[in-house]
Amino acid sequence: MADETSAAAGTSTETGAGTESNLRTTKPGTKRLFLTVSVLISFLVGAPFLLKSTEIHRSPLPSAAISSLSDHLHSNPPSFPCHFQAIFLSPFKPSDSSLSLSVAERIRAQLSAQSCGNCNFTVSVTVDSGSSCRHEGDAASAACLWECGGGGLVDAIEGRDDQGIDELLLSAVNERTGGCAGRVYSVFVMEGRDERVVIGKHRHAWMVLKDLDDSTSVGSMIGTVFGDYFMRGGVEKGEYIPVGSDGNVVLSFSLLNSNPSDWIYDWDFQRTGEVLLAPVLEALAPVANITMESQVLYHAPKSSISYWDEKLEAYVVNTRDLPFFVNSNEWHLDTSLSASGRSKVLQFVVYVPSASECPLYIRTPEGEISKTNAFISPMWGGVAIWNPHGCSMQSQGIHLVRDVLPPQELEKIIEIFIGQLRILFGLNSNYVEPSPTFKFLASEKGFTNWELDLLYRQHTCFNLLSSLSTLQSLSTLVESLPRMIVMDEIGKQVELSLEAANLAERNISLGINNASALSSIRARALAEDAFFHPSIMSISYSSMEHYFAIYMPFFAPVSLHVLLAAVKEVKRYFAERSKYLAFRASKLKSS
Amino acid sequence: MASDPMGSQLRRILSIFFSLSIILPLSSPSPTMHNNNWAVLVCTSRFWFNYRHMANTLSLYRTVKRLGIPDERIILMLADDMACNARNNYPAQVFNNENHQLNLYGDNVEVDYRGYEVTVENFLRVLTGRHEASVPRSKRLLSDEGSHILLYMTGHGGNEFLKFQDTEELQSHDLADAVKQMKEKNRFKELLIMVDTCQAATLFSQLQSPGVVTIGSSMKGENSYSHHLDPDVGVSVVDRFTFYTLAFFERLDMYSNASLNSLFTSYDPTLLMSTAYYRTDLYERPLNMVPVTNFFGSVMKTIPTDSAYPGFLVAHASEYATISAETETARVVLEDEADHSKTYDQSEKGLQHILDEWLKLLEGKLGVKDPEVLVAYGLGSMVLLLTISTWLSS
Repeated sequence: MADETSAAAGTSTETGAGTESNLRTTKPGTKRLFLTVSVLISFLVGAPFLLKSTEIHRSPLPSAAISSLSDHLHSNPPSFPCHFQAIFLSPFKPSDSSLSLSVAERIRAQLSAQSCGNCNFTVSVTVDSGSSCRHEGDAASAACLWECGGGGLVDAIEGRDDQGIDELLLSAVNERTGGCAGRVYSVFVMEGRDERVVIGKHRHAWMVLKDLDDSTSVGSMIGTVFGDYFMRGGVEKGEYIPVGSDGNVVLSFSLLNSNPSDWIYDWDFQRTGEVLLAPVLEALAPVANITMESQVLYHAPKSSISYWDEKLEAYVVNTRDLPFFVNSNEWHLDTSLSASGRSKVLQFVVYVPSASECPLYIRTPEGEISKTNAFISPMWGGVAIWNPHGCSMQSQGIHLVRDVLPPQELEKIIEIFIGQLRILFGLNSNYVEPSPTFKFLASEKGFTNWELDLLYRQHTCFNLLSSLSTLQSLSTLVESLPRMIVMDEIGKQVELSLEAANLAERNISLGINNASALSSIRARALAEDAFFHPSIMSISYSSMEHYFAIYMPFFAPVSLHVLLAAVKEVKRYFAERSKYLAFRASKLKSS
Repeated sequence: MASDPMGSQLRRILSIFFSLSIILPLSSPSPTMHNNNWAVLVCTSRFWFNYRHMANTLSLYRTVKRLGIPDERIILMLADDMACNARNNYPAQVFNNENHQLNLYGDNVEVDYRGYEVTVENFLRVLTGRHEASVPRSKRLLSDEGSHILLYMTGHGGNEFLKFQDTEELQSHDLADAVKQMKEKNRFKELLIMVDTCQAATLFSQLQSPGVVTIGSSMKGENSYSHHLDPDVGVSVVDRFTFYTLAFFERLDMYSNASLNSLFTSYDPTLLMSTAYYRTDLYERPLNMVPVTNFFGSVMKTIPTDSAYPGFLVAHASEYATISAETETARVVLEDEADHSKTYDQSEKGLQHILDEWLKLLEGKLGVKDPEVLVAYGLGSMVLLLTISTWLSS
């Protein structure tokens, strides 16, 4: 009631006003103000709820950590600490004390500018010849210095064969360079009549030289062993990394019978091959997780042409025709059950030719007949041709021969495959000696320990750089699509990958090569999993404009009205209030 | 060695430096070798009257197989089945010429994606490699950094798009984006894109990645035409661009080295009734030095093995005969320290950040953890507020 009268009074005052339009006698009502402002406030309060409910789930990626680690790796590429020590077991009096310098210079000349995984090397020279013990050069740490007292070694070496000397020196190295035995490469130098250099299958070599006085030539020989072989593996060409992006490799061994109507051969690969190859796969475990499988195929002719050679009385395939040898239409090699989508499959094929092209030989580019009758294709695998015995004597109309590949032949073929596996991984199958005095011992693991170290270094470096670049690409991609859902799984994989990469880097500086290789494989596999996650398809996600286009027609008109109403109402209220206050003031003045 | 002061000075400097680590800048990766060839052949049209698109794709499939690319390195995507179509007068046979000399669907045809599996999404998944884990190897493009890829697409197209299955489109920027991602992951060394549709040259107008050479059967505003009608089958059986491409390849075999330039210049605009436009600005090798077998045939770089790994068997025998004590040092794997420093900062500053803070505050005050419940509370309170104010004003 009071309201109404006051309102009526207010209106009467207003309508009656001519000169008094800026006065009102009653307080202005607040209902409309309260109503409009409360609606506006409820909109403002509710806006975050709306945004939250239409938010897309984006697992946060540690982009800053990724780019900092990536920059760090590019500015300081991972360098592996290698310590080279030369130990003279015979009395050695150098003409000047710069042997370590000449050795170091020779090694430095071998550092290739491009390959990843270089050695951050230190050189030390020790003369331990019974009576005197002299050190020179720089040791990585006191623990890595050779303890003198090995003067009796020269006598113990006399009369032993190379394998025995190798084992003897191994135990000596382990004994006398206590803490660093796995990380130091040694060359033992002795004086003797027959000059030879033997590089063992662990991490040491020994050389017998006639003349120890010429320190430049001695230094350069030592430097060759360290630089050319221990550090670089004797290869010039770039690295091959035949490992799948999930760290798996499948070795697929196939026996191909070209024409089963002539003869059919089977093999016992299960027994022979697995026994022979088990140590190799174990040795390569830090480089890749390798599995093996084998199969026998029939009706698998080659697709290139061979020519009859009168002199050799055999069929010959020229090097020019080798690229067309593998008949991919008939050779169904890629039927692996165990290979998942991102593993690498390396094919090793034994080809048994048919009677119409038997015996079959490969001619090398130099015109000679190949000693191994085999060839490889990088990143694919290798092929070896096996001719059944006495096949040139076969006459027409012979009955079907079913036979098993003799185990000795199979062993020889596996030796060829090991050589091919070494080439596929970037090493030499056998060393072409620079001079007849060099000899290399073979290891039952297919790779000597120093070659394995080299592989671990190369692979670690490659994997680290590859995983960092993948993570960078992923974070750039995710940032460029602001409305793309980034699943938790991807975030987790990126985190784990970064962790593994950091761990690998730390292990590198500590010199633990196989652990760093394992971590680097893990980093690369996780990074690739995250990048190739099937949910990252840009075509499935709408852009920011799309989001606005959906919600604008709902909210823009309504909020416009609400805002305008509130603003208008507030202005009106304050105008009325000022009128009322003016009236009150005038009343006070008049009373 | 001379003992001059300069020499000794140098030696002293060297002696200071010889044990320091040598930091070598990592140069850009050395150029990779060409290892293998892949082919991705896509036919995007369905319905019987688009018979010629399927015949185009199958003809090219037959050509690359004849020149040596194996099935395991070909991804064939056919959007419909013409050979077994009810309207086909010659069941299980597909021809690309009215003389019916060649049955394209004869033997050894391995189709990887058929029918409704040919979608833009699957196509982009094949290119970028983002498949579900269950997709078999034969449906994946398993190329590496030494691969040359031939990408052939045919169907109906227009200005900056290609129609898939009559329901969706592949835009030129989608294709460019997929190629860019392929290049980032080094999924190819070189890529040849051949498109036989109307206004084909517009489809690759947005490409920016290096190492790509592209050719389209017509330019913007031009149509691509079919070659001839087969009165027996009842539809056109081949397109002009593909017809002349096949005519070029019929003269070649695995051993020939005709160049890509000769292929590209063999197209006659009067015979094609359109201009075959090719783009080489992203490709660094000159076209006359690139043999067509670099893309259309199979290349296997082979290296004869000069020797086995001698002594392996002997070493193996001796290792297992004598029990030698393995004195290798135990392999220690360091445990990672608790590296829980999550230092990724909130890069989304601004409104989103403020609103997130506001929400967190509310959550804290109300003690509610689940955001859904919070939203429900908020909406409820809004409605309550409105009803109260409405009631008050009545």
